[in-house]
Amino acid sequence: MEKTGFQRQLVGIVFGVGVAALLAFAGGAAHAQKVAPITIVINQSPWFGGFSKAVEAYERETANKVTLDVNPFAGSAEKQRNSVRSRQGQFDILVMNSTWLAEFYHGGFLTPLGDIDPSFKLDPQVLSYDDTAYWDAKTKSNNARTGSLYGVPLNGNIQLLFYRADLYQQAGLKVPETWDQLMANAQKLHNPPSIYGMVFRGARSASDISYDWMPYLHSHNGAIFKDEKAGDFTVTINSPEAKKALDTYVDLTRKVGPPNPGSYGQAQVIQALVTGKAAHGTPVIAAWSQMDDPSKSAVVGKINVAVLPRGPGGKPSPTLGHFIGAIPKNIPRDRQVAALAFLKWFQTVQAQQIVANAGAPPIRKDVLESELSNKPENRWMKAMVDSAPYPRSMYTVPEGPQIVSVLELRLNQAVIGEKNTAEALNTIATEIQEIMRKGGYKTGKLPDLK
Amino acid sequence: MERIRASSLGIHSVLALCALVVIFPVAWIGVAAFKTQIDLLTGKVLFQPTWANFDELLFSRSSDYLANFLNSLGVATASTIAVAIFSTLAAYSLHRLRWPKWVPATVLLWSAVFHMLPPITMVGPWYLMFRSVGMDNTYSCLILTNLALNLPVGVWLMSVFVREIPIELEEAARVDGCTTPQMLLRIVFPLVMPGLAAVSILVFVFSWNEFAVALNLTAKQTATVPVAIAKFAQEYEIKHGVMAAGAVLSAIPAIAVLLLAQRHIVKGLTAGAVK
Amino acid sequence: MDAHLLGDARRWRYYALAPAVAVYLLLTALPLANLVAMSLHDIRWQGGSADWQFSGIRHFAELGGDQLIRAGIANTVVFAIGAVTCEMLIGFFLALFTSRVVTGRVAYRTIFLLPILIPGIVIGAIWKLMYNPDFGVINQLLSLAGLPGRDWLGEKNLALASVIVVDIWHWTPFVFLLLLAALESLPQDVFEATRVDGATAWQELRYVTLPMMWPAIAVTLLFRLIVSFKVFDEVYLLTGGGPGTATEVVSFTIYRRFFTEDRMGYGSAISLVTLFVLALLIVLALYGSRRFSKET
Repeated sequence: MEKTGFQRQLVGIVFGVGVAALLAFAGGAAHAQKVAPITIVINQSPWFGGFSKAVEAYERETANKVTLDVNPFAGSAEKQRNSVRSRQGQFDILVMNSTWLAEFYHGGFLTPLGDIDPSFKLDPQVLSYDDTAYWDAKTKSNNARTGSLYGVPLNGNIQLLFYRADLYQQAGLKVPETWDQLMANAQKLHNPPSIYGMVFRGARSASDISYDWMPYLHSHNGAIFKDEKAGDFTVTINSPEAKKALDTYVDLTRKVGPPNPGSYGQAQVIQALVTGKAAHGTPVIAAWSQMDDPSKSAVVGKINVAVLPRGPGGKPSPTLGHFIGAIPKNIPRDRQVAALAFLKWFQTVQAQQIVANAGAPPIRKDVLESELSNKPENRWMKAMVDSAPYPRSMYTVPEGPQIVSVLELRLNQAVIGEKNTAEALNTIATEIQEIMRKGGYKTGKLPDLK
Repeated sequence: MERIRASSLGIHSVLALCALVVIFPVAWIGVAAFKTQIDLLTGKVLFQPTWANFDELLFSRSSDYLANFLNSLGVATASTIAVAIFSTLAAYSLHRLRWPKWVPATVLLWSAVFHMLPPITMVGPWYLMFRSVGMDNTYSCLILTNLALNLPVGVWLMSVFVREIPIELEEAARVDGCTTPQMLLRIVFPLVMPGLAAVSILVFVFSWNEFAVALNLTAKQTATVPVAIAKFAQEYEIKHGVMAAGAVLSAIPAIAVLLLAQRHIVKGLTAGAVK
Repeated sequence: MDAHLLGDARRWRYYALAPAVAVYLLLTALPLANLVAMSLHDIRWQGGSADWQFSGIRHFAELGGDQLIRAGIANTVVFAIGAVTCEMLIGFFLALFTSRVVTGRVAYRTIFLLPILIPGIVIGAIWKLMYNPDFGVINQLLSLAGLPGRDWLGEKNLALASVIVVDIWHWTPFVFLLLLAALESLPQDVFEATRVDGATAWQELRYVTLPMMWPAIAVTLLFRLIVSFKVFDEVYLLTGGGPGTATEVVSFTIYRRFFTEDRMGYGSAISLVTLFVLALLIVLALYGSRRFSKET
């Protein structure tokens, strides 16, 4: 509140001096002047509460007007696509999930933020999320050095290892750092049907099993492509590393999973955790808000989170499922300016404290490390900071959803026993190579696994 | 007499059994509206009822349920009335006003083909059309699209009922000097009432529950009930209780329409008229 | 006088048809033309605008190699035939019985129509909970009866049947309502006449009720088949097409290809082919049941 008063005073002084040039540039000076009303298109989610609190504070503080168009998840993508493809866009800030980010970058629908205000930069305290806020149109990759800034991360959603801290204490277990250690711990706690050692997003959907398995792949030093950032799309998903990663995953589902792991989606994983049916799971941090809520959870205070385990010789590799706020090309200049004013404000410490206080994950490292993280209900913050160097994008090409659709089916077939792991990976490699060939990429694939 | 009583007892027991099977999931949804998420997830039979779901549905910040409700009410009522009138008129014209054979065939075929298309393929073109004339996010565009979506079923069904009107009745009326509008009001509409009531119930329910198109053609101010309810089926959390509460409230107007309209599904109007 | 009336009828034949045709021309012509155009093109977005590349019939040629489509069409046909047959039979007999009883008919009618009032997305979410193997009410009831529970949506060979059950529950009311209205609008004197002639209930059903209701039955069947081919909401929340491809249905494949993967050309091609298959199926179904109704 004090700060606001000071800012208003400052504004008064600036106007008092009457710098004429400032008037022409007034739209850009976000805190100084009322800007055009904007509409943000966003999906309903567990972190929406924190975001809308921040929006309220912004409106109070600046007297700028913000309308929130709140939608179901898939519906938000649909509406954004419609809007950017029409002659004049309906929305001023697109809240984009990583699943449709590539489509919007490649389609050329977004404005580089530097075109609106050359001085705008991402605050160094904002976590990088694998450079996904930057886009290099020439090399068609997310690259902070060579690309331009197109957006501001609004929510850092990544996977963490959720585990039953109370059972760990009873059994004297240590938080696992590798998948093998996790298997050992899960086997000790596996006692079906009353509790499963671990639950998985093994189902086939728009994005369940592929997202769940990605950290195994990356942390075994495997990858879908040889070198995406350098434009080499040779398919390497049928490498021995990938096979080890899939064997580890399938082995876990068979030895410590529920009877039909191939039918669990994210909602079922969370359901198993909150009902006390599962000792481990790797859902996204967005699920956290349900763990400690007595109306939603039978295990309040009993669950803790840690950085994901890793494979031999690899690094922990949570997959990004985060959200970036970006500004479309097809809206008038004054609305672009107003939209940037909000993004600018949203990355400040003050805004991020509001977000964190409302129980949503902030995007700033300093806020995640502040005294807020000492509160017991914020015990997830440390794991978020510790995970910060590792997140990986699932894909950066607009063909991503097609690739995911292949992965979903074939991985699911491996889990439910319709295919062995080598067969599944060979099929995936063939099908992905075909997708890339059709898309005109430089591609190829490794020899089949046996 | 004896046989009739026995068979009516049999009929009643079959109907009652079916009613039980049908109503069980409905009742379960009704109960779910008063359960907390954890009680629902763990399948608790005895539980502490709560208003929290209704509270979140009606009063949380991201919810405009009451407004959505009124939007749905207006849109569904308007589209139902329009479909009822347009489809009866069209059916009457096609089957009783002596078109060459290819005309009714084409119209009916076109309706059926259009009805086969998945909504997701129509949404994009419709959005661009309405946006280019500045009609996106209006009630009129929602009513128009619901009209287009439900007209096929209306025209086909009303064709069935219109063709059952005895032709002698019409001829007699013509001889008496009845004009076409008089004929429609005095003979056609009264005689097709059972069918029209059934069609109206269906069209109301379909427009009320229509989701794919409403999602894309509405914004905050014009959003309808299904769009509001779908927000609670999130990627990370399916709020079953709130969705159930939304379904319970959303069923009220439909039940009212049902009770109102089904009084017109009564026996023997045609028979009476012939005599 | 006669000539005047004929003129009136001729004018009204246009007036009465005009609104419906206007709606069709305005709202269906463009999307359908657009769909056909898209199916013959590759559409890529670059620099904020669409680049349409003519692709001929390539999308249609690709269909054969798409495993999801093959599974989807097979499942959809099983789904449609299984669900619609049950719905028609149950709906018909419920309508017949309900029209016979005097006491409680309003209650029966209202109850039998309830499921259709519930939004599809809620039905999906709630049935998923009821089917849950650990806490679901269905397994709870089974265990009360001393029977073992199953994982209704998780087992490959059960999943499609479980989805069909939900569809029957959801859509039988549609059949019930329309056939009830048709039954009630039949002329009663015919029934009285047959009863006076001493026909049994079965004879009455076979020689009077069924033939007279045939047009209503055919149209109801037509629309049930069409809508069952478009089944989406239930599958979306219940199984997402899994496990494996056990419950993959065509409309879901279309949604995935057309929307999720943004392959509008290919997605349109699938829609058009599905439309063709569906039309074929309907012609067969109507032809078959018309022959049946002629024989009876």
